[in-house]
Amino acid sequence: MDRNQIAKWFKEPAKMANKYSLHAIYFCTGCGIIEVPPVITSRWDAERFGVIPVATPRQANLFLITGYVSVKTLRAIIRTYEQMLEPKYTVGFGSCPINGGMYWDSYNTIKHLDKYIPIDGWIAGCMPRPEAIFIAVIHLWTLIDKDMATGYIKYRENYKSYRRNQEMALGELEWPPLFPVSDEPRGNEQ
Amino acid sequence: MVTKVMQIILSPVLALIVGVFFLGLARKIIARIHWRYGPPLIQPVIDMIRLFYQKSVSHGSMFDLGLILSLAGSIVVVLFLPFGRIAPLSGSGGLLVILYIMLLAPLGMALSGGQGANPNISIGISRKLILSLGYEVPLLLVLLAVMTHYKTISIIEVVSSQQSTGWALISFPLFLSGLSYFLILPAILGLRPFDVSSAPQEISSGPMVEYGGKYLALATIEHAFVLFISIALFVNLFLGGAANPVIFFVKMLVVFVLGLCINAVFPRFRIEQAIKYLWKWPTLLAFVGLIITLAIRS
Repeated sequence: MDRNQIAKWFKEPAKMANKYSLHAIYFCTGCGIIEVPPVITSRWDAERFGVIPVATPRQANLFLITGYVSVKTLRAIIRTYEQMLEPKYTVGFGSCPINGGMYWDSYNTIKHLDKYIPIDGWIAGCMPRPEAIFIAVIHLWTLIDKDMATGYIKYRENYKSYRRNQEMALGELEWPPLFPVSDEPRGNEQ
Repeated sequence: MVTKVMQIILSPVLALIVGVFFLGLARKIIARIHWRYGPPLIQPVIDMIRLFYQKSVSHGSMFDLGLILSLAGSIVVVLFLPFGRIAPLSGSGGLLVILYIMLLAPLGMALSGGQGANPNISIGISRKLILSLGYEVPLLLVLLAVMTHYKTISIIEVVSSQQSTGWALISFPLFLSGLSYFLILPAILGLRPFDVSSAPQEISSGPMVEYGGKYLALATIEHAFVLFISIALFVNLFLGGAANPVIFFVKMLVVFVLGLCINAVFPRFRIEQAIKYLWKWPTLLAFVGLIITLAIRS
């Protein structure tokens, strides 16, 4: 730990602890997950930065979407994201969650993931190298420092439109809304 | 009177600091054995600060109370254990009380998990209780041998008679019991060959699966207490306790690092393999130790 940051720790303990204890949930959506084992084991050792994988969404606060998202996976992703506790951060890994990537004309793949859950940052590439995950973590630190990693707040505020997009992709949702869906129209239509 | 109250307040705090330090040290040492650099030593503290600031989800009143029950049980056990000269309640009760109250920690976790209503919790809890059935048998035999050898149930007297006659671990009939206790120590701590109940890859970390936020922080604190209790019991019974807390801490450190070296390199047992192991070698050693102690003492 940097000694210059001790004053910051006393000023904003929550923000600093969120930065240095990112627990990523094991969630293998696509081929990108193959880059994660070298990151967490002895070759690149993400634990140096406090990033470790955990097994359940309740303990996690970082969600890496690794690879293409099929319609079936989207259902699991939304449920996992809603079970995570706030504050939570999401990072899309690879080209596919950004705009479909090589599955740009697939009938069964979600093209723009940020229509369905909020994404705090993207790692472009097919595949990105494991170092890209560290760059993403450092960018996420900067975002948390500047109060810009506010995906979970956006999700709460615009839950109605996110829910409508989810219903458009998946049909009827079998779980109740996470936040109350009021009738008055909100801004930021997607 | 004042010193007693001070000790009652101080000893759980000391135990917590030592336990949390051990959690951090465990991650660092395991990382070094895996040829990694490892997290900073205070990483568990950072995690706990983060968890206390997070929102948390409760699943009902028993979900909260069970966790508090197990935490309270652990704190009471700490009061009964001498830590160097700091021994607030060890004059009364002794080993039998510790044996009874030590059961509260897994029981509280089981009650709390029952309300969580997640299938992974049920599997984890049942594995945890089966495992404790496995290690309670040799543990009871070991404690019985110690109590028979020193003809007392008071931990203070066990410690003081060891300070005059030498460590129990290197005296003749008791080294069998000591060896047996060391063999079951990873099972009591839930370390790697015996982490069946909290296996992250099989059952999503078992009883902890629904804990998040403050609940996970409290569960981590509980784990730190359990680490402290089982190692401190070993040091008190077999390594002769210590005259001051620093030497006691060094002895605990040595035992813990030895346990970690086993933890870092072994794969996980299945539950029936764990029971088979626990009821074979440690129980056999403890039983032979008890028989010889009885034969010598009577």
